Amino acid sequence: MPMEFLGRLPIPNLRVYVTISVVILSFSIYYATQIIKDPAWKTNHTHVDVGLHSGGDIDPTDPRSLGTHLKELLECMVMEPVCVWTLVNTGYCMLILLGKTIQKLVFGELRASENYHLKDKFWNFLFYKFIFVFGVLNVQYMDEIVLWCVWFLALGFLSLLSQLCKDRFEYLSFSPTTPGWSHARLLVLLTAILVLSSFMLLFCIAAAFFFISFNTFAFMAAECILLGVRTIHVMLRYLIHLYDTRGAGTSTQRSWDKRGPLTYYTDLISELIVLAVDFFHHVHMLLWSNIFLSMASLVICMQLRYLFYEIQRRITKHRNYLAVLNHMEQNYPMASQDELAENSDNCAICWEKMESARKLPCTHLFHNSCLQSWLEQDTSCPTCRLGLSMQANHRENTLEIPPEPQTPTRRNSNHFFLFLDASRYVSWLPSFSVEVSHNRLRGNISTFTHTNSQMDAMARQVQLLFPHYPRSIILEDLRMTRSVEWTIENILDGVLTIPHHLIEEPQEESVPQMETIVTNIMPNSSIQNSSDPRFDIPIADSGEEPSSLGGRFSKSSAERELILQRRKEHMRLTARRRYLEKHRKSEIDSTNSQITNTENIENTIS
Amino acid sequence: MAGSALRRLMAEYKQLTLNPPEGIIAGPINEENFFEWEALITGPEGTCFEGGVFPAKLIFPPDYPLSPPKMQFTCEMFHPNIYADGRVCISILHAPGDDPMGYESSAERWSPVQSVEKILLSVVSMLAEPNDESGANVDAAKMWRDDREEFEKIAQKLVRKTLGIPP
Ligand SMILES: [Zn+2]
Ligand SMILES: [Zn+2]
Repeated sequence: MPMEFLGRLPIPNLRVYVTISVVILSFSIYYATQIIKDPAWKTNHTHVDVGLHSGGDIDPTDPRSLGTHLKELLECMVMEPVCVWTLVNTGYCMLILLGKTIQKLVFGELRASENYHLKDKFWNFLFYKFIFVFGVLNVQYMDEIVLWCVWFLALGFLSLLSQLCKDRFEYLSFSPTTPGWSHARLLVLLTAILVLSSFMLLFCIAAAFFFISFNTFAFMAAECILLGVRTIHVMLRYLIHLYDTRGAGTSTQRSWDKRGPLTYYTDLISELIVLAVDFFHHVHMLLWSNIFLSMASLVICMQLRYLFYEIQRRITKHRNYLAVLNHMEQNYPMASQDELAENSDNCAICWEKMESARKLPCTHLFHNSCLQSWLEQDTSCPTCRLGLSMQANHRENTLEIPPEPQTPTRRNSNHFFLFLDASRYVSWLPSFSVEVSHNRLRGNISTFTHTNSQMDAMARQVQLLFPHYPRSIILEDLRMTRSVEWTIENILDGVLTIPHHLIEEPQEESVPQMETIVTNIMPNSSIQNSSDPRFDIPIADSGEEPSSLGGRFSKSSAERELILQRRKEHMRLTARRRYLEKHRKSEIDSTNSQITNTENIENTIS
Repeated sequence: MAGSALRRLMAEYKQLTLNPPEGIIAGPINEENFFEWEALITGPEGTCFEGGVFPAKLIFPPDYPLSPPKMQFTCEMFHPNIYADGRVCISILHAPGDDPMGYESSAERWSPVQSVEKILLSVVSMLAEPNDESGANVDAAKMWRDDREEFEKIAQKLVRKTLGIPP
């Protein structure tokens, strides 16, 4: 079976494969030279006979010119079935080497998913072409098979490259920091694929005039068109993406509103063309294949079914798109300039500024394209969850719908979303939700098993060390720190020396302030007297690091990564130090408590 | 779609860097792929997870603000709302369409108005107050209800583990 030559050799064991191919090739050349030497072979071939006669009656072993020798050799190899397959195999091997070079030049290391896709596509291609050649065309003659193999080698090679480009483009579009030249290389490769595929199409047309039937031409042309359209699709999406991300600094808003429909219709048209061409290609195959109930026609029927559903799905999706578009235009007017000026927030979906916007019945504003893509999958306002009836064509109807989604939220016992829901109605700005969560957590803390008697015991402990401090102040600090040692440290560090300042201020405001002070102090207060090696922790680079790191968003991605890494490290170290310190103190306290014989303090601390 | 998702993620990253909520750090693991983030979440104070720094991975879809990201803790976790493999089960991470538990109203689900910050803050409050109705981890939910002391012991062990302190 000829396919075994190609199929048995997977892509990864390249070195082994190349070696085997070279060995096979040299064997077949040796074989061919042996045959040429045999005078009986020449008599079978008129071509060579002519060559011999014109060369005169010289001794056959005489060394002739190298050119004619090679020509003879080649002719012999083409004639011999074994040698032909070695030649095809050599071509295949060289294509792989070429592909490998291109991969090294353009793609670098392939990612796991790209590798997987490539292999998948390779085997798929092999399977379908095998069915095509032997099931549909029912090729009988060796030379025909060879020609088809050469054709499919070229085609498969380009398709695989195009698939790889598509995968890589999708990956590159996930990153904001891809250097320009890697885009350029990919685009050059895509252009090359496009040019080659149009050459192949031209070749088909030329061949149709001379030596192939119309049917064969249609088969070949369909494949070229599929490859070409797929490549153009990737290129167009690529260009839109580049224009979108690169031009962002200068002309964001101008490109924004047109971008949505442009991308959409590019996708729609090229997908529909690919599906339609593929569909008719398969119908053609089905009609052409001589036996309708063969395995081949079964496979083709399955493929046809799949393509049909895909086309149907795409058209349904497009109908939905048009319906949403129509609905939006009829029901949600564009916001006026005054409304835009009044609403200073960005679009809540893409977080970008709104130069123009659509207004929902609940007065929330969104970009046209942002709202469009959201309404395609859900029919409620993203901000307030007001249900938007897609059937209603009059604005009055949509307004009459009560904002029912709000009520279940309030009813629901699923309470860990309450503060988020509350913040959702007011604003989606984070500063708000942070504060809410902060207060909430503090609420937790005060209810957390710290009964008055325990607090009193802790306060008494502190007062043993600092008798001149009024108990009320110590208690208040304890309520926030919830630990004896933190309060002691606050006193030592002078946070509690101005008691009137703390008392005068309303409690809500003093809490976040105090906590930030505490967190700022912690990194500085190094452990002086730890004897246990477990407690010897490196002090994070410096105490002021988080503030200097947190306040900056660098323009360079490398610096951003570095800062993030250091912030993470700092957080881990601080948490670790705080934890250890706390437990060390709680151990000390537990010994203290044995001496002073107060009630069970370490429970309240740890 | 990846272009607008990318810009939105960049804006969120910027905001989380300039204005970080307390006890939360989040950002792309590697800027070559902006759709995979790592977040560090400090266990809320006054709860059994207090003091721990829990790492989690966030994977964003290409149509990001339209679909929710997936979140998975990369450290060992024992919590009623976290699956054994670390996946987080809270309604804010569920797309409006799907309803695996069958009890959530759509108002609590994902919407493009939500953000990484809000997800992480609701995870913090989930750590503080488990919801034992959703049984992502049935054993943990049962222990949380019946044997709080044992639950706290396990949580403390996990906290020490995330801090790299031998038990
Ligand atoms: Zn928008
Ligand atoms: Zn609304």
